[in-house]
Amino acid sequence: MPGATLSRWTMSYFAAACLMLVAAQGLMVAGYGYPFADRGAPETLVVVHLVAIGWLSLLMAGALLQFVPVLIARPVIGGRFAVPALLLLLGGLGLLLGGFVALSGALDPPFVLLPVGGVMLLAGFGLFAGILVVTLYSARPLPLPARFVATGLAALVGATLIGSAFTVALSGLAEGPLLDRLVADGVALHAALGLGGWLSATAIGVSYRLFSMFLLAPEVERSTSRAALWGASLAVGLVAAAAIFVLSGFFGAELLFAAALLFTLLAVFFYGADVLNIYRGRKRKQAELNIRASFAALGLFALSILFLNVPALRTGDIVAAVVYLFVFGWLTGLGLAQLYKIVAFLTWLEAYGPVLGRAPVPRVQDLVNERHADILFRLYYGAVVVATLSLVAGTNGLFRMAVAGQLFVTLCLIREFIRARRLSIVPAALRAPAGMVRPHLFLPLSAFQGDK
Amino acid sequence: MSEISPKVLDVRPILRSGGEPFQAIMQAVQDLRPGQGLTLLATFRPQPLFRVMEGRGFDHEAREIDGGDWEVLFTPRKETAPVETSVDADRPETWPDPSEHLDLTDLDPPEPMVRILAAAEALEPGEVLFAVLAREPLFLFPELTKRGHQWAGNFDEAGSAYRILVRIGEA
Repeated sequence: MPGATLSRWTMSYFAAACLMLVAAQGLMVAGYGYPFADRGAPETLVVVHLVAIGWLSLLMAGALLQFVPVLIARPVIGGRFAVPALLLLLGGLGLLLGGFVALSGALDPPFVLLPVGGVMLLAGFGLFAGILVVTLYSARPLPLPARFVATGLAALVGATLIGSAFTVALSGLAEGPLLDRLVADGVALHAALGLGGWLSATAIGVSYRLFSMFLLAPEVERSTSRAALWGASLAVGLVAAAAIFVLSGFFGAELLFAAALLFTLLAVFFYGADVLNIYRGRKRKQAELNIRASFAALGLFALSILFLNVPALRTGDIVAAVVYLFVFGWLTGLGLAQLYKIVAFLTWLEAYGPVLGRAPVPRVQDLVNERHADILFRLYYGAVVVATLSLVAGTNGLFRMAVAGQLFVTLCLIREFIRARRLSIVPAALRAPAGMVRPHLFLPLSAFQGDK
Repeated sequence: MSEISPKVLDVRPILRSGGEPFQAIMQAVQDLRPGQGLTLLATFRPQPLFRVMEGRGFDHEAREIDGGDWEVLFTPRKETAPVETSVDADRPETWPDPSEHLDLTDLDPPEPMVRILAAAEALEPGEVLFAVLAREPLFLFPELTKRGHQWAGNFDEAGSAYRILVRIGEA
């Protein structure tokens, strides 16, 4: 039977993700990792993986568990594995970070933490990807947004496999020319599959649906959307091929990587054209804050992909600044903007779903304070741009201040999310009609009404 | 999308020479592209053919032209999206006529869901409600089922509006 219910553990994924974002930015403010350490230093790896796995991947995983059913109009299959997957991911990330700290020499835990963490992450991501693959498989032929998710899942598997190989090599557990070549030339590929293939392709797919939903625009499968899908999928395929080239010592991986970046640029171009079309075809006059804030993220996405396609900007400290813009301008900006809407909507449905039509209930907008958040998002993007520029200029003091600004906004937004969950902004007269359900902060209710 | 122009088949020469055009017509129908129509020119109103073509999913429009000849335009019926129903919705075609009609196409989600559930509360068990929405109300379906209502719905031909029938269950 078609339909979508609340995903039981999505809020738990979101809560863990938000904490990781705070931790990562806190470390940067404290002067831990790049630019205070080398780009490849273990300290930098701690921060990078806290952001990429802890924040972005958990956020995306939680969002997909909720929104893949909306993309395919079918319930998730195997949703009960969402908790073991979350625990494996958190445990694996903890061990991975412990292993990096060991590499940095700051503490003395055994190096074996790294490969054990790698295996746990492989299992956690594998379990999560398994849930979605089985679910998507049941819904073939897939609508276009869901096919982006499929491409993203393939990239996730690739990124995780390469990452696990790194943990084996870095811990010294195994060695050989294969691993040596991968460590020397595979870092960019690992990052491209993770940040580009997995996080960006899925974000694009889900946003096609969310944008037309929130803008009240008709959903049409355009040829430009198909072109964007092809571009993104080809790029993922080329990066995967480049990884195989690197492993086997063939010449030409760099060429494949450059071609992948070019296809990504094309995909972004078509995606941008689609979003513009969706915006023009909207019935809602004034776009809501989550959409406006997402558009800023999209602009920074296009800008950073454009920069990455200039070979001169792909080297040294410049590329680090561009990647920073990509991660915090595009992925994190979009994530926070959508989270702002999604948390309110899911909370509304959980709290008032059972009494809808039987008693007056607040609107979804009544759960948040949009004027307040509008200022926060302006501040956030301003801070990201300043942080990026200060990385280019090498002014580390300014960088810390800018990241402190981002951290401040993040904490304020988390406060907004908590207030939405607690229904504390809702006018008192509407807050608690008889029969409503008061949601827990981030754990599912024991008598949960959503999917199993 | 531009319409594909219908294929023209003139069977008057075959008829005038005393032949049987049925095979030629069926061959032409087989060669049509998806969505393409067929214009048939005949010396009489081909009544028996209408039945055959209807069975193949074509509507017809016949008119007399000069000299007592007939021109018939067969157009393929648009495929409608399959009807989705709740598990317990047996034979929605036997439900009574809707006693409430709602046009919710201009409302922001989740407002259509709220309106449908509110309207459902006001109806008696067994009564039926009809609503048109801009998109498929995925979060509404489980809520209707939970409240014991049955539903059936699908997208219109253009795929731009979702139509749903809800039959109120015994509370």
